[in-house]
Amino acid sequence: MNETIPLPTKFADRAAMLAHLRALSGHDDAASAIPDIAAGGRTAAEAVLARIDPRAYAATRNHLDGAVTRLSPYIRHGILSLDEVRNAALASVSDPKQAEKFIQELAWRDYWQRIYLAHPERIWSDVESYKTGFDAAEYDAELPADIAAGETGVACIDQFIATLFETGYLHNHARMYLASYTVHWRRVSWQAGARFFLEHLVDADPASNNLSWQWIASTFSNKPYIFNLENVAKYCGPDINTIPRHNLVLDQSYERLSELLFPYMGGPHG
Amino acid sequence: MADLVWLHEGALRLTHPVFAAGGPGAATVFIWDTDRLADSHVGIKRQLFIYETLAEMSESRSLDIHEGRTEEVLPRLAAQSNAGRVLVPSSPDPAVRAKIGAIRRAAPDLEIVEIEDTPFVTMANTPDLGRFFRYWNKAKKSALRPQGI
Repeated sequence: MNETIPLPTKFADRAAMLAHLRALSGHDDAASAIPDIAAGGRTAAEAVLARIDPRAYAATRNHLDGAVTRLSPYIRHGILSLDEVRNAALASVSDPKQAEKFIQELAWRDYWQRIYLAHPERIWSDVESYKTGFDAAEYDAELPADIAAGETGVACIDQFIATLFETGYLHNHARMYLASYTVHWRRVSWQAGARFFLEHLVDADPASNNLSWQWIASTFSNKPYIFNLENVAKYCGPDINTIPRHNLVLDQSYERLSELLFPYMGGPHG
Repeated sequence: MADLVWLHEGALRLTHPVFAAGGPGAATVFIWDTDRLADSHVGIKRQLFIYETLAEMSESRSLDIHEGRTEEVLPRLAAQSNAGRVLVPSSPDPAVRAKIGAIRRAAPDLEIVEIEDTPFVTMANTPDLGRFFRYWNKAKKSALRPQGI
């Protein structure tokens, strides 16, 4: 019987570890940039956990520069348990109600994981029909090349994709914008978008990710989620390009967008 | 006979109950199964994050990373370490569950025990998962007062 030799765990730096992983996966393009992702490991996780502020989180979490925690990669990989994160949140406030919004967001993960275990078929299949006036077959099964390359020509969308590529992370609101643009503006199946996120997000989890895409798509919610440029400007701050002429397809009222994106809503077509 | 702890990417911490179940002498392995990683859409950025985590864990506990197909490598490692049981953190991930099934078929004499993580909430009845707030309305009390204070 051959003795199995373990893989190395000590590397000079992150670049050397990355080259090792690229060789293992057969993508030996060592010249690629080193991604600016969160540091792995419990030490880094505890440092992030020590900085959480549940009250500030509740007040500002929808803004890209808000007091979001960046705990998601550590929770997703079990480096931190939901139980200990919740307990840390409760220990940081004087009244549990001050941590309620933060703990509710932890509960979303528990909820997705329970669905994953009870109904694994829902992770890649429509939980319900689209509520957009279109059938599932009318959505493209493949991600368009311009989205995959981050070259859609819609400035804020391309910025979100570039951030995803470089950091393996997107603020939740940016995820919602990018998912909505993909499914509703481009009429691409949520599955194609979900695969794109899974391949790039460091916190990628099939349950949280795919069911959230279904929530955006309306196959796991009561209506499709859409947004407009005014909303992006409100939540994203000056680092994101929200100049109207650079984001023409987003620069509409919600009423007009609904007419443009869902012309058959409310009645059968085809 | 000692136990062998088999970690997967959903439970990468030394305080997971799987380690208490295995005891201090249990060897620990992570199988770097490139086919499974690819099938699960684990991109290079996530691979780096996972590997960094494993490397740090290996500094404070005997933990080896082995490359190969899980159902082939794990039974071989169990035999080499004379392990009678394999302990694995329980997971809802069908890919992990499929590998557990494949190991059981490949090595029917090898006992595999799934160890649950510490729960986030406890509820008397199975919650309605149809919409989040139906679940949350049942889970909220336990989530905000985990010790029933």
